[in-house]
Amino acid sequence: MAVSARTRKSARLQRLEAAINYPIDWLEERSGLVGGLRYFLFRKVPGDSNWFHTLGSATLTAFLVQATTGVILAMYYKPEPKTAYASIQHITNDVTLGWLVRGMHKWGASVFIILLFFHMARVFLFGAYKYPRELNWIVGVLLLVMGMAEGFTGYLLPWDQTSYWATVVGINLNGTVPFLGPYIAQFLRGGAEIGPDTLARFYSIHMLLIPGAIFALIGLHLYLVVRLGVSSPPWSKEAAGADWVEEQVTTNGRSGLTQPAARSSWRRNGGDAE
Amino acid sequence: MSAIDERRSQFKKYKEDVKDRGKPFYPYAMFHDTVMSLVVVGVIVGLASVWFYTSGENPDTCGGKDSCLLGPRYSEPADPGTTNFVPRPDWYFYFLFYLLRIFKWPDSVILGTVGIPTILLIIAFALPFLDIRSERRLSRRPVAVVAAILVVISMGELTYKGAVAKEALASEVVAAVPQWAQREGFANDPKAVAGANVFAEGGCTSCHTYLGTGGGNLGAPDLSAEGSKGKGVQGLESYVADPSKFGNTVMPKFGAFASIPAKDAQGKDLGISQLRVLAIFLDASKGPK
Ligand code: HEC
Ligand code: HEM
Repeated sequence: MAVSARTRKSARLQRLEAAINYPIDWLEERSGLVGGLRYFLFRKVPGDSNWFHTLGSATLTAFLVQATTGVILAMYYKPEPKTAYASIQHITNDVTLGWLVRGMHKWGASVFIILLFFHMARVFLFGAYKYPRELNWIVGVLLLVMGMAEGFTGYLLPWDQTSYWATVVGINLNGTVPFLGPYIAQFLRGGAEIGPDTLARFYSIHMLLIPGAIFALIGLHLYLVVRLGVSSPPWSKEAAGADWVEEQVTTNGRSGLTQPAARSSWRRNGGDAE
Repeated sequence: MSAIDERRSQFKKYKEDVKDRGKPFYPYAMFHDTVMSLVVVGVIVGLASVWFYTSGENPDTCGGKDSCLLGPRYSEPADPGTTNFVPRPDWYFYFLFYLLRIFKWPDSVILGTVGIPTILLIIAFALPFLDIRSERRLSRRPVAVVAAILVVISMGELTYKGAVAKEALASEVVAAVPQWAQREGFANDPKAVAGANVFAEGGCTSCHTYLGTGGGNLGAPDLSAEGSKGKGVQGLESYVADPSKFGNTVMPKFGAFASIPAKDAQGKDLGISQLRVLAIFLDASKGPK
């Protein structure tokens, strides 16, 4: 009896499994996405990766918070000098949980920038910008510039005194660039004065142009991370691909120095090293 | 073996090492990432809550009823007419903001606005090509470590100074007006005194200094002796109305003052615009007697 119950159950389980697997297999057969996800999840990372390596994904999380809260804000925000300030007040004081959405967007921006710098610092300290990851560093610097540009364009949107006068000065400073300055300032203002056109322009740049670029750059950034792998901490005794791990073994004791250490970095000119 | 070959073989070894000794991203690294991401979201929600619950609906409740630990919800609505407001960017631009105090207009201010930021950016982009050794250990990268420490200290210092930079409050500046009138000798000219008040309230001192009061921001010159440069009331008026016509693209335009009637200390209409009295005040500023 017990046996038959178990077999009946397992038959049901099998059917359930098949029901779950069917759409997955369907998707995999037509797109290969499932295999891609599996590759992403089960790829190996160096055994000594640590908390420092979480700064990149923390930055990503902060960006996703900005994207999500930004979309919600855009549903209530009215990018016109006459209405912008009132709509910001309305969001903060009246809309259900509007204060939370606006507060998260406002403070998330600072957290995002701080995490960008922390992540960059860890990449720098780990020497992780070196071959073959140069390109990913450059993509990263672009992301940093984009992040700061988001801060500059978003600052104007509440259309209060703080944002207005900071932007007046910010645009004027852009105007001091040799030769191009006046054109940059003119472009940013969308005219001779800061007004409705400036606000519309900043809003468009802030919610469409730069976020689009950031999404694309993050895609490229993560592609390169998965393709090239992340660097072990340089102080690790078991750092992946590190010649100093061997060095430590071979240079332990005097005789070590004279032993041929195949990959040691000071022997790069030794013609017969390999 | 050439340098690039060596780096290639090193990377090959890296890939092999990770394959042999690495751990799968899921669940190990993913666990750390998830914990960290939750912390990030928690911090953001925490900041938003403190900001909201310590501030009030009115922009000016701060300091009174509300502590505004993290600042007000918003400041007063934007008003291109009054500049009684200290232009201040978000904190991550403070270092640039402060750089502009170090360089003096007009000779070197461009170093602060364009020069140094551009150089920093070029170095950031070029870093992987400037530092091409494969060495990653900090103890063997003395130049990189020293450079990093210098960058962190100077950015931190500039950000800090930008944050605490003393801004003259309009009320303090207004209180200094009688003393200005005394020292500059225009106390008997009600138009010049009215102009001095517009100057004090209009936010000019967030950039300019006048007899020691004011910001000294963005390379704006001291105006205590502006009247001795021979520009005349007319010249000063058109300058302040639209400085960009005179090659000054940093200072905002104050043309809006032309349509606001000026009043004297008793509130009597002087029959001319605020822009005019401002120019009269500047013209009367021949330097302290
Ligand atoms: C955002 C900062 C800022 C504010 C606010 C500002 N200025 Fe200026 N101003 C400058 C800068 C920078 C210069 C120097 C430009 C140059 O030399 O080309 C300048 C130059 C001037 C000059 C010419 C000085 C000279 O000798 O060349 C006058 C006059 C002047 N400002 C008046 C005023 C008045 C009046 C106000 C307030 C209504 C004011 N400014 C507000 C930044 C500012
Ligand atoms: C939106 C901004 C960014 C996001 C979402 C992001 C995300 C990530 C993630 C998830 C990783 C994996 C390893 C880790 O977390 O440390 C990574 C690695 C890396 N990032 Fe970023 N990053 C951003 C900005 C930057 C910046 C500003 C730089 C530097 C200028 C940079 C340079 C790098 C490099 C070189 C690696 C490879 C590290 C290694 O091999 O160890 N990134 N990034």
